[in-house]
Amino acid sequence: MTEIQRLDPAVAVAELRASGDSARGFLGLDPVTQNDSLLTQELESLQAQLFSAGETLVGFAPNADQPRQAYVASTSADPEPLRALLEFLATYQRCTTFVAMVPDGVEAAQGFAACGFERVGVLPRHRWQNYDWQDVLVYVGRTDTCRS
Amino acid sequence: MPFMTVRHFTEADIPVRTELLRENKYQTNLNDFAMSADDRALAEGMARTISEQHHTKRLFTMCGSKGQVVGFSWITSIDWRSQACELSFAVLPRYRSGFGFKAVEAAHEYLREQLHMDVIINQVLSHNTMMLSADELEANAQIRAEYDSYTVGRWRTACYWTVTRDDVRDRKLREQARRQEIADRVRAGVQGLS
Repeated sequence: MTEIQRLDPAVAVAELRASGDSARGFLGLDPVTQNDSLLTQELESLQAQLFSAGETLVGFAPNADQPRQAYVASTSADPEPLRALLEFLATYQRCTTFVAMVPDGVEAAQGFAACGFERVGVLPRHRWQNYDWQDVLVYVGRTDTCRS
Repeated sequence: MPFMTVRHFTEADIPVRTELLRENKYQTNLNDFAMSADDRALAEGMARTISEQHHTKRLFTMCGSKGQVVGFSWITSIDWRSQACELSFAVLPRYRSGFGFKAVEAAHEYLREQLHMDVIINQVLSHNTMMLSADELEANAQIRAEYDSYTVGRWRTACYWTVTRDDVRDRKLREQARRQEIADRVRAGVQGLS
């Protein structure tokens, strides 16, 4: 099983910035339009936690309206770090469902699909990037179908 | 690697920008408040912009192809809903001859491409012909405001103009047409030779 390592906020922000384009839209954040200080504040207000697994960054933010649900994000197409995150969330946060909002075209989408997430919808023209509107794909996963 | 890149201004950039704020041309052309403030106050002001003022004001560092700091740009009076802001920039003295125009262009690109600004307001004091000649300034100015600023002991007149999404599109189309025309001429010349 892939090990994931929790990152302190300052390290998490540095890793997000180092991840380049794959970090754009990660939990709704964007290192291109937000400076480190703003990223730190956003992570704090989301109560988000980030973890690293090798080159991959995964993270979650609790859904305040549904404590058994978490928003999750990843910077790569590899499903293993994601599985480890879901395992952690199911075990320690008693999460039963997960929501991922993934900008269209980023490779992380493949990771969610490979992990057993279901694509339930599209938010059309939801964010602006590189001179264009971008759709955001909404994925939902359940602990009974997503964990290895 | 692109010729000029825009990145977020960081704490490490503060000493370089402080020095620039104290430079003579900067004070004449932009503002001279640095003369009445000590280094610590200037640094605290910039640190506050980095950490607290994201919604009204943002600072960026302009870098050359090797990542070297060439100058700074900053946006103020940001109206996110109307997608408008005012853009200012200052290039370090040693890079002024070659990088100025590229820096302005890169800043405009970033603001439109990533921050989704539609209307960018430019303000240049009328004596400042570092980027644009007096004639160009006169042609660009949509508003001339006399007694706009008081810098280094004198009242200055300012030229204001906006650059909209349509302006940028028209300029790009004109450039493309010009390039196409040159390419066509070259092609016709080459064919004439053979």
